Amino acid sequence: MNDTHPSSPLIDIVKVSKVYPPNIMALDNISLTINRGEMLFLTGASGAGKSTLLKMLCFLEYPTKGLIEQDGKDVSRLSAINLQFMRQQIGVAYQDFKLLPKHTVYQNIALAMEVRYENPVKIKKRVMALLNDLALSDKIHTPTNKLSRGEQQRVCLARACANKPALLLADEPTGNLDADSTAKVMKLLAKLHEAGTTLLIATHDEKIYQNTGHRIINIANGKLQESQS
Amino acid sequence: MQYISFVIGQLVRNAKHGWTAQIMTLFTIMLSVLIFSFFLLIYTNMQKASSRLGNELRLIVYLEDAVPVNFRTEFQKKITDFEEVEDIIFVSQEDAFGRLKKQLGKDNDVLDGLDASFLPYSVEIYPNKNLKSLARIKAFSDYLGGLPGATKVQYGQEWIERFGYFISLLRIIVILSGALLILTSVFMVSYTIRLTLESRQEELEILRFLGATDSYIRGPVIIEGFLLGLLGTISGLAALLFLYQWVKIRFSGPGFMNLFEFSFLPGSTLLIIFTMSLLLCTSGSMISIRKYLKL
Ligand SMILES: Nc1ncnc2c1ncn2[C@@H]1O[C@H](COP(=O)(O)OP(=O)(O)OP(=O)(O)O)[C@@H](O)[C@H]1O
Ligand SMILES: [Mg+2]
Repeated sequence: MNDTHPSSPLIDIVKVSKVYPPNIMALDNISLTINRGEMLFLTGASGAGKSTLLKMLCFLEYPTKGLIEQDGKDVSRLSAINLQFMRQQIGVAYQDFKLLPKHTVYQNIALAMEVRYENPVKIKKRVMALLNDLALSDKIHTPTNKLSRGEQQRVCLARACANKPALLLADEPTGNLDADSTAKVMKLLAKLHEAGTTLLIATHDEKIYQNTGHRIINIANGKLQESQS
Repeated sequence: MQYISFVIGQLVRNAKHGWTAQIMTLFTIMLSVLIFSFFLLIYTNMQKASSRLGNELRLIVYLEDAVPVNFRTEFQKKITDFEEVEDIIFVSQEDAFGRLKKQLGKDNDVLDGLDASFLPYSVEIYPNKNLKSLARIKAFSDYLGGLPGATKVQYGQEWIERFGYFISLLRIIVILSGALLILTSVFMVSYTIRLTLESRQEELEILRFLGATDSYIRGPVIIEGFLLGLLGTISGLAALLFLYQWVKIRFSGPGFMNLFEFSFLPGSTLLIIFTMSLLLCTSGSMISIRKYLKL
């Protein structure tokens, strides 16, 4: 996931369809190229297929038809070790958070770095900084099932950002947040963008992408329409 | 270094979760190590005693009459034709009388007024050290019984026979308790580990999403099995040592135990038990993780 081929796109989606059983057509023959370092917004009505697209990019789902290449590799044919390695390079803020309910905020965020065997001192420093950025410092030792939805959402995002990943997928990262928290989240994402992370953000929230100059992809009925804000 | 601190963290977390199952497992491993090594201890001691008894084996042939001195070489040759022997001693009535007197010690006044003629003539045969098998001893004794003038052959046959049966029974018990040790440690450890893994299923799934490698997930689990085995085996062997000391103190002094010179298992045997048990427990945890790695 590092800049081994600076000119090649990070993600190449070619004529991909996704059909859920029995025959729900979530994505219909879509093609999309995402370059390294890009920040890109994904919009569309509820049920349009945004989450499905993100799930395919973090290997939770696989295309029914078509090809997805990430970093030049066909994602349908990753070896187990490669899959694990790629996942370590991708930060994901899931729509349903996927936090460990009985573990503390700190433990949840640190876990993403622990699986990479990062130095504990480095982990601690990074987690503290993230909690500070997202105004969660006072919840550091709270189990995540004792947090509000908005707080959980920010913990989930902090975990996704922890490794300063090459690719960050954020599924509605501001869905439960007020204006103040939304601004903090967007500031954090902008910081990663500046540092070179490729970002793909699914959202219903127009305010976060209006007048930013970034690419916007709209999904309707499983098909893509591109525009510029 | 990070990995070690992470593993310890995981272990503490797991221990908080499933400590009842872990205590049960520890206890079971301890008990089966204790049972197995206890029977092994008895077995090795009995075997040592039996070889010592073998060294002291002598056959006594009672005779109708004394063997005349000029016939003794011929008599000896007849014996050595059948089995090699270390020594053959001809015991006259006077010799036997003298021995009896000595044995009775200060009570020997009961023999006053008696003479040696009521005692039989005999020949004592000390066979070669490698005469150990019960069947060969029996055959030798039958042969000796057929010598001219022999009335009876004695070598403590009942005693030796019973001892032989007892040792083979012990051998079976040792093997069975060894099998018990294998079964319990593998099953109990893999059972506990499975409980741990089941309670961590959600966590494992999320670990997978975060890109955790097989070794990251496997490490703490295998170490858990290893530690269960380590603690269980150490406490089992410690319990054996304790039991051994207790028995020694309890039955010390002249008597039964002196005959056996009751001694503890040698270091090499302990090491083998220890290593085997650890290997078994670790493979028990590997068995149960295999399924979960296919997440
Ligand atoms: N696991 C699944 N099994 C069957 N159908 C599914 C599954 N996941 C999603 N779908 C269907 O696929 C379609 C697209 O779902 P998806 O979650 O991608 O939508 P979305 O754009 O993320 O919606 P939202 O904005 O509400 O999150 C929907 O019709 C949904 O019901
Ligand atoms: Mg969605």
